[in-house]
Amino acid sequence: MEWFHPGFIYLLGVPLIPVLKGTWKKAFLLSLPLLAFTVLFLMSKGILLSEGKTWVLPFLGHVLILGQVDKLSIVFAYVFVIASFCMILYALHIQEDGQHIAAYLYVGSTLGVVFAGDLITLFFFWEIMAWSALFLVWYRRTKKAYDAGFRYILVHLFGGACLLGGVLLYLETTGSIVFQPFRLEWGLDWNNIASYLILLGFLINAAVPPLHAWLADAYPEATVTGAVFLTAFTTKGAIYVLIRGFPGAELLTWLGAIMAVYGVVFAVLENDIRRLLAYHIISQVGYMVSGVGMGVMGTVAGEMAINGAAAHAFCHILYKALLFMGAGAVIEVTRRSKLTELGGLYRSMPITFHLYMVGAYSISGFPLFNGFISKTMVVEASAMWHLPIVWLMLEGASIGTFLHTGLKLPWGTWFVKGEPACEAKEPPKNMLAAMGITAFLCTLLGVYPKILYDLLPYPVHYQPYTAAHVVSMSQLLLFTFIAFWLFRRMLQGEPTVTLDTDWFYRMAGKKVIWFCEKPLMAFATYVDAKVMAIVNFVVWVSRNPAIALSIKKEEVVIGVKRLLVNSERVKDDELWLEEKRKSYPGDLPKLSLGGSIFLILLALSLYLILYLVSLHLEVS
Amino acid sequence: MWGVYAGLLLSFIGGFLVHLYSHPKIHFFWETLPFFSALYGFVGCILIVIGSKALGHWWLQKKEDYYEEQEQMRSEN
Repeated sequence: MEWFHPGFIYLLGVPLIPVLKGTWKKAFLLSLPLLAFTVLFLMSKGILLSEGKTWVLPFLGHVLILGQVDKLSIVFAYVFVIASFCMILYALHIQEDGQHIAAYLYVGSTLGVVFAGDLITLFFFWEIMAWSALFLVWYRRTKKAYDAGFRYILVHLFGGACLLGGVLLYLETTGSIVFQPFRLEWGLDWNNIASYLILLGFLINAAVPPLHAWLADAYPEATVTGAVFLTAFTTKGAIYVLIRGFPGAELLTWLGAIMAVYGVVFAVLENDIRRLLAYHIISQVGYMVSGVGMGVMGTVAGEMAINGAAAHAFCHILYKALLFMGAGAVIEVTRRSKLTELGGLYRSMPITFHLYMVGAYSISGFPLFNGFISKTMVVEASAMWHLPIVWLMLEGASIGTFLHTGLKLPWGTWFVKGEPACEAKEPPKNMLAAMGITAFLCTLLGVYPKILYDLLPYPVHYQPYTAAHVVSMSQLLLFTFIAFWLFRRMLQGEPTVTLDTDWFYRMAGKKVIWFCEKPLMAFATYVDAKVMAIVNFVVWVSRNPAIALSIKKEEVVIGVKRLLVNSERVKDDELWLEEKRKSYPGDLPKLSLGGSIFLILLALSLYLILYLVSLHLEVS
Repeated sequence: MWGVYAGLLLSFIGGFLVHLYSHPKIHFFWETLPFFSALYGFVGCILIVIGSKALGHWWLQKKEDYYEEQEQMRSEN
């Protein structure tokens, strides 16, 4: 066998999940990522195809490429597979098959996107991703989760429609469906519009403001284990397709930098622990988007930026999963998710706290943790391009990241109050084990970055552990800590919700419903009444057309008389007309059977004449 | 807390040592300041907290049942 699609390992494994029971099922669930990992390992060693196109199918005069393999697709596939192992271990105690099925459809379809070599295959897996993710939200089975899920899928269907529209326009203008870098220029020709639409579809999945609100809206409402899956695939899948489709698009540099800061600002205001972390997904994905924007192909700084974006996606998936696992563990045992309702849990769940903190050090970019070796690559790329404002925004976002994820959230959850806010204990063993493995991987990559650097698409000439990098990062983080300590009272949670761009469609949605219920409905009733009046009139006339006509004629005559002569005489006429109306339709002439048939034949022969005349006119 | 103070001091001194001995590549003018990161971390953190809180309190933060309340108002109309 030349090659096997790692995504299909998951997709083909899904139907077996409901069949298996107990330990067998757990072993099966864990074995799928291991199998996919083995396939990937064989690919990167060159035993299976490691560069090129395979699994090519003819489709409507084009070719679908299910296996577009190169270093970029392999590195993304690696992290998706590794993360899926940790995540399924975290979810192993879940009894409900549907949750596992949704999770593995989600993982499998993301791998489908990663290896898609054409736009139709990409779109196909893109849609499965959106739908399977939706079920990870809905399985929470709360009203909030249902509502957030509906909003989630509406946004993603819009994004999918943009993508499909773009793909079809692209096909129309270029005649090709091959997934390769798109042209992104100003101007309204059809080819540009195709690029814009495809970019819009990608940006919605990457959660770029103002198209990001679905993420902070839906992820915190998902199931405890489902949210861990959600953190990894949709946004990082979008980063992958952005690297493939729009490397070096300058717009992305700025959007990414804005994203990085935007997420941080909103995280300050957040009270729900998973929503706080969700805003930090937006912030961290900002680094990657910015990296894609700086990734001009064929330049040293560009290759650095693309490497940085891919490496940061890799590291981010691991530490963000760890952070969501930690927050999820707290929610699982306490059934609470708000900082104002938590606090003082350190004594009852110290292991969770320490494992969470590994994730927090990683996301903040502490030396020896994986965020340090990847985030600094993107920041370094911005320095190489001499973009001072982008550099300051990205560094500033690091401050905010440590402030919330590393300080505010753990402080509010595990400390603040002397007494624990509620009863708590360590979560089930499988959850702790999953957190342990993920924490180990975060540290391993931080200590030994070569493992990751060797997988990156371009050769890495970057050394993270220089004295200057370590010292400046330590200064930045330690002095952030001092500022936090001074302002820690101000940073306690507040029982509020924060308005974000979802306000527009949540409120606009209500306005639309109001518009449908009130003005639109009134208009419909009015039109309905008018049409029915005409119908009634026609029915009334047809009951006795001769008398009906004379009544109508009398009405007109009386109207004219009322204008011309005095009203006394008109009154008599009106009374007479009233009598006539009451007796309507009056005695109808009885037709014999023969008479009826004669009339019908007459009508038919008129129709025939009409037909022949029209035929004649057409010929001439 | 003593560990933190020691770290602060060490990183601060480290900044000067790096500049004296290893001469890192300078991309922006502020990188000539040996304690720039410390300053940026401290001031940046305060700015983020105060800026965001101001934005939240004056505009973006609403009561927890904000959206439910809006829904109720609609159904009463």
